[in-house]
Amino acid sequence: MSTAQPSTRWFSLRRRLLVWLLGGVTGGWLAALAFTYFDAHHEIDELFDAQMVQMAQTLLALASEYDNDDDIARLEETGHKYQKKLAFQLWDDEGRLLLRSPQAPLHRLAEVDGFSESAGSGMDRWRYYSQWDRQGRLRVQVAEHHYLREDLSGHIAGRLLMPALFGLPLLGAWIWFTTRRSLSPLDEIAAEIAARTPDRLDQVSPAVAPQEIGPLLAAMNALFRRVSGAMEQERRFTADAAHELRTPLAAIVAQAQVALRARSAAERDHALEQIVTSGRRAGRLVEQLLTLARLDPAIGLPLEPVRLDLLAAEECAGQGATALERQIALELNADGQVIVSGNADMLRVLLRNLLDNALRYTPQGGKVSVSVTAQSLAVADNGPGIPAEERANVLRRFHRLAGQEIEGSGLGLSIVARIAELHGARLELADNQPGLVARLIFSAA
Amino acid sequence: MRLLIAEDDPQLGDGLTVGLRQDGYAVDWVRDGQAADLALKTEHYDLLVLDLGLPRLEGMEVLRSLRFREQNLPVLILTARDAIGDKIAGLDGGADEYLVKPVSLDELSARIRAMIRRAAGRAQPRLQLGDLVLDPATRQVTLAGVPVELSVREFSLLQVLMEHSGRVMSRAQLESSIYGWRDEPDSNALEVHIHHLRRKLGAERIKTLRGIGYTMPKA
Repeated sequence: MSTAQPSTRWFSLRRRLLVWLLGGVTGGWLAALAFTYFDAHHEIDELFDAQMVQMAQTLLALASEYDNDDDIARLEETGHKYQKKLAFQLWDDEGRLLLRSPQAPLHRLAEVDGFSESAGSGMDRWRYYSQWDRQGRLRVQVAEHHYLREDLSGHIAGRLLMPALFGLPLLGAWIWFTTRRSLSPLDEIAAEIAARTPDRLDQVSPAVAPQEIGPLLAAMNALFRRVSGAMEQERRFTADAAHELRTPLAAIVAQAQVALRARSAAERDHALEQIVTSGRRAGRLVEQLLTLARLDPAIGLPLEPVRLDLLAAEECAGQGATALERQIALELNADGQVIVSGNADMLRVLLRNLLDNALRYTPQGGKVSVSVTAQSLAVADNGPGIPAEERANVLRRFHRLAGQEIEGSGLGLSIVARIAELHGARLELADNQPGLVARLIFSAA
Repeated sequence: MRLLIAEDDPQLGDGLTVGLRQDGYAVDWVRDGQAADLALKTEHYDLLVLDLGLPRLEGMEVLRSLRFREQNLPVLILTARDAIGDKIAGLDGGADEYLVKPVSLDELSARIRAMIRRAAGRAQPRLQLGDLVLDPATRQVTLAGVPVELSVREFSLLQVLMEHSGRVMSRAQLESSIYGWRDEPDSNALEVHIHHLRRKLGAERIKTLRGIGYTMPKA
């Protein structure tokens, strides 16, 4: 039970839950991160653009006061790290560079007014803003490296990233722990089932069971019920069989001792005859037990089209001699060619049992008739019949009617009933007035 | 000694009947529980051999109503049922012995002898009156150590008289002890057997009480 079948694909609910939950949380969080990054970027762009405009206008306002025809003024570097990423130039209407920040080049930064972008990409990209003063004499150009914006949005996104880096492993551990706790009833149930033996098939009823495995438990319990029912039946059958064999054996032993101690030849012969009869009975019983044992596991009986009329004719012919010997009229009525879906060997056993019963219970001069129609097979006799209230009982194994002189094992009709069941057919016992009609009705399928 | 066998199997019933008759018992055989019940109500038996799986009336029912009527004859259950529970139920239900089929006739005979002995309240396997000794197991009778040849009926009759020595046994009691249903005695057959016994053992051994019966006085 504990070794897994190689064909089974195993998966762990826990691992599955962990992967999907953690994956989902990570995915959602990444999406949030991306959205935050781009949103922040956008806001930062606007803020920085506004600053550039303000810076340009401030410069222009200052420059209009500034009236120096000297060399190009170059501002001194002060110490902020971002300073390298900022530059500006001040031009006059004749195209002379009046003022520039330390990083600014000597050539014009941008050709167009308003905002523009440098051709470079990534870390080399600059953003420019260019504007003339109101009189059209001075032109200010401001450049700002894109790095500033990227760096800031990166920082903001990074702040979001950090908690997740710690949080996700914690969340994973939490999922692992809680699924383990939630699934622990499964382990208990598994342990309980693993501890079972074939003779301990009572219901699995754990103290706590999750609602989700309710159907599984119910199905398992139903299986246990069926299996233990089948085993109980098997056990009872074996016990019954042993009991039934004991009586003819006891008779053989007793009669053999009678024969040994007999004081006359007649007494001895009588005892020996009884031994033969008991021996035959025991033999017949064993044969029928073997038949039943063979029938029991035959769950998937191979069914094929069977010519029921021919089969009945053969079996009737087989019993013809017995019928003649007992002076019983045996007749067969067949509706032409009758084909049913069945197992020929089993149907033969069935018919032989019905015929055997009919011939044994019908008195001398009586009649046994076999009729085959499209959907049924019936054997009618003139025997004592079976009282209506006993008809269900006689199908049970080893059940015999009271006060019968005719010997029998009480197995014949159980065999017939079992074969009928295997064919999906219905077995009907009815009154033949006088006698019994055993009718097998095949389902129309 | 008269026994009733209740057994539905024809061959086994026949074997037990014939075998126990060979042992000198008067044996009646019935094949269902109702017949057993009826026989027990109407006839006197010294012992009942009872099968449990009887048609019409279960063996246990037969036993129950027997004990309910306060009939104390020993009952030996002879059955195919070997479960401990069945044995306990059988013995607690009033049976004295419980044997599981198949059983040897010899063993069955020995059990029956022991049961009859116990029912008569003695432990000695042999019956003894003075120098007259009867051994039910070997079916031997000795008079002063000398074996006496007796027919089956004579032996049975002597055994009944010795079992009940000191008591007067009526003609009817004696007849029902040695004859079953099938062997109806001639009207004077009993007298003939008594006559033979007296000749072989000595006339004084068996006293006649005219019109009442016979007795063997205690030594």
